[in-house]
Amino acid sequence: MSLHKEAYQALESILGNENISEDPAICEADLKGGSGEFIFDANAVRPACVVLPKSTEEVRDVVKIANRYRLPYIPVSTYYIGLCAPSLPDTIIIDLKRMDRLEIDEKNMYAICESGVCFSQLQAEAFKLGLQTMTPGCGSQASVVANTAVHGMGPFGYRLGSAYRRILGTEWVLPDGEVLGLGSLSFSPEDYFWGEGPGPDLRGILRGMTGPMGGLGVITRMAVKLFPFVPEPPKPSGTSPYTRLNLPTNRMKWFHLTYATPEQAVSAMYEMARSEIGTMAMTVPPLFRYIARARGKGANAFWEAWAKAKDKIDPRETIVRILLVGYTSDKQLAYEEAVLHDIATETGATIAEARPSDESWIMSADAISVYFFGGVYMPADVSLDSLNQGLKVGQSTAALKKSRTPPLGEDYGYPGWLQLQELGHSSYLEFLAFAGLEDVEQLAALSQDCVQRDIDIGAYPVYQDPTVFGPKWQDYHHIIAEVKKTFDPNGVSNPPRPMKLMLE
Amino acid sequence: MVVPLEDYRYDALSCPRCSNCKWVDHVYVRSHRFAKICPINARYGFNAYSAHGMLDMALALLDGQLDYTPGLIDVVYKCTLCGACDVRCKRNLDLEVLLVLEGLRERCAQDEAGPLPQHKAVVEKVNESHNRYGAPSQKRIQELPGAEENADILYFVGCNHSYVQKETARATARVLEASGSKFALLGAEEWCCGRPLIATGQWELARKKMEHNLDTLASYGAKTVVTSCAECYKTWKVDYPRMLKRSTEDMDYRVLHIVEHAQQSLDAGTLSFKNPVQMKVTYHDPCHLGRLSEPWIHWVGERKAFGRVEPAKTYRRGTYGVYDPPRQILNSIPGIELVEMERVREHSWCCGAGGGVMDAFKDFALWTADERLQEAESSGVETVVTACPFCCENLGEAARLARDKINVVHIAELMLKALS
Repeated sequence: MSLHKEAYQALESILGNENISEDPAICEADLKGGSGEFIFDANAVRPACVVLPKSTEEVRDVVKIANRYRLPYIPVSTYYIGLCAPSLPDTIIIDLKRMDRLEIDEKNMYAICESGVCFSQLQAEAFKLGLQTMTPGCGSQASVVANTAVHGMGPFGYRLGSAYRRILGTEWVLPDGEVLGLGSLSFSPEDYFWGEGPGPDLRGILRGMTGPMGGLGVITRMAVKLFPFVPEPPKPSGTSPYTRLNLPTNRMKWFHLTYATPEQAVSAMYEMARSEIGTMAMTVPPLFRYIARARGKGANAFWEAWAKAKDKIDPRETIVRILLVGYTSDKQLAYEEAVLHDIATETGATIAEARPSDESWIMSADAISVYFFGGVYMPADVSLDSLNQGLKVGQSTAALKKSRTPPLGEDYGYPGWLQLQELGHSSYLEFLAFAGLEDVEQLAALSQDCVQRDIDIGAYPVYQDPTVFGPKWQDYHHIIAEVKKTFDPNGVSNPPRPMKLMLE
Repeated sequence: MVVPLEDYRYDALSCPRCSNCKWVDHVYVRSHRFAKICPINARYGFNAYSAHGMLDMALALLDGQLDYTPGLIDVVYKCTLCGACDVRCKRNLDLEVLLVLEGLRERCAQDEAGPLPQHKAVVEKVNESHNRYGAPSQKRIQELPGAEENADILYFVGCNHSYVQKETARATARVLEASGSKFALLGAEEWCCGRPLIATGQWELARKKMEHNLDTLASYGAKTVVTSCAECYKTWKVDYPRMLKRSTEDMDYRVLHIVEHAQQSLDAGTLSFKNPVQMKVTYHDPCHLGRLSEPWIHWVGERKAFGRVEPAKTYRRGTYGVYDPPRQILNSIPGIELVEMERVREHSWCCGAGGGVMDAFKDFALWTADERLQEAESSGVETVVTACPFCCENLGEAARLARDKINVVHIAELMLKALS
């Protein structure tokens, strides 16, 4: 499709001809959203044009033109997320990569990020100041703004809190082009220090259930909290693909605790949180271990080992991996280590110190590794709830998956990947399932099984169609629909996001 | 065809569009400023200008969903084929990203959608005069101090060092001589290695250059080819075996870059640097000597379910590029202080010259080079050392235009200073 000439010229006059293209080859790269050959891409339509704004003003003007000509638009930045594939003709992709300014307020411990800034950029700059940010599970290539506006989950959420708690002053181009400042920005245009209010806190509307997914305009700038870190951050070493961070062992140590049952592991994780030790704590699915061992050796090596694993893996056996950090001193690490040993003894774990390096979670996050051995991956279910509920959902999903395996990939019945969040007040479960490219629909079917199951057991729904869950959850889908209609009267901001309802 | 796009359909299809192809390995990201690794994406911004975009284009071309457009040609030929995306992707995945990009170029050439007029002009010169400058063969370097009629080592001088930066050839010869190595030159019998043809997807034209050079090598009886050019090095070591459907280790010769030869000579005690050179320098890894120079491993097989292949395949991930020898050399020269930039070794930022970009998109090549010079400046040095004439040329020109405090030198010339 191509845009009406008048609309294209209006966009070009704002952006300059270097920063807009309707060439089909250029648009092809933004056809499929950001998740590979994925089920969300099934009905994708090639966008009509791609634009590259450099400033909030340019975003605002592009959005106003989109409203004037009733053209759908989708903001994107670093990809690797579904739900940004155009599903309507004449869609404008607003690629925010050129908006990549980053500013850190060291004294007040926050960073102002434009949408094109990725996590590793922020982490690297924060480290220089003895500070740190999140490394989200999807990887450090993700946009800080986009990821934080969604759930922004990752193991660091145990110590640093959920994403929405880290949002401070935020600049938001509303779906109709009005620019709104949230928090302290609402009364002081240069001051990002505060996130709430005044009045009703619109961050909740912005985030909704699972984030706006581009369905409520464009966030152009966001201040996020930073947190104290160790004075000497881990040092990079190794040659690709074997790169890692070497930990300062006086301040940081990984431990593995092995339990006979997942229930024991969950009890121990509660104890860790109650004692307020550690900075990340999670279970380690056997699949993750085999992927890590096969790094650099090729998919054949993985599959060979994975086939033999059948006799070695006890799906009840659960490894908990915890990172202890002496934020304040060497003594803090020694204290936490002593507490962890006590917990291990009391909860019946075999405890071992892991090698003093980090391949993933502090600076990188290797979620993409799940694609390493081919096929298609997706979280068949996600749970944001208590640890006990997370385990329950994981075990139930494992049972559901069994009936579809094969053709779904074998994982020997393991009940998903469970992370501690918010110092134990919540947890995050991702149940990843995989299939060959020819069996993608089986993944979608499993996801539907999980939806019904979640309704049956009253599980908190994440990344699912609100119209299905709404009736079970105080009809909240009507509220989302009303918010969408109010903020996006022309229905142009990544329709049908934030949910399917708008198309219907 | 040498890189049939159809053979890499799985690789194009399996891109999860994670965008890691655009960033330095996150473990090694040291700053906001120098975190990007893909020059075309950093400069042009559109996702199309990245490996992710080109994989999508390749798939759409294969599926008949896309035809050649000005945008496609612009993207394909602005890519420097530096291979950074390939290394980044292969940290986690088994996808042959770079081969898809090369396959796209070969397909463009086959369908006569490319190369660009500027490339065709170079091709004409290479075909007519056997060098990229259109200069007479007789004016190639015929003699160098220490060169002999016949020797086990053949110094393949390369077009640039034969006609343009001749002082580097003389320095290389002096290093060979100082290390006690006997070497021969091909003189007028040396033909362009074929790199400009390969870079623009014209592999079959390059094959003729390869055949001539291999025949000439055989007639000299030499077993080792030494180069001072990173592009010639990679062509002899990686691309000739590819064209012959053989592995590098199965070739009748071995290839050494002068930095490898010098490092081996240092280790053996046959070469030493006594003369102090008081300089604070940084080293720029040429793509063709670094991440792209791993030996070629010929593989023929079938794609099985999931990511499996039969037989098993060894992937080139940039792990075994020539990274240490130049650094060992610099550290062995008295007076030299080596300061590393942020993006080094397999994570090095391309200078912008490769892939025919310097011929067709001079402004973009210089922009890319200037990015590298800014990184060098931020490391507090005044001299950038490298090991490729095209890096020297492009970085040098960018320095003359905008960063006159920065010098760019070939490592052979620095070695010469340390010998004198």
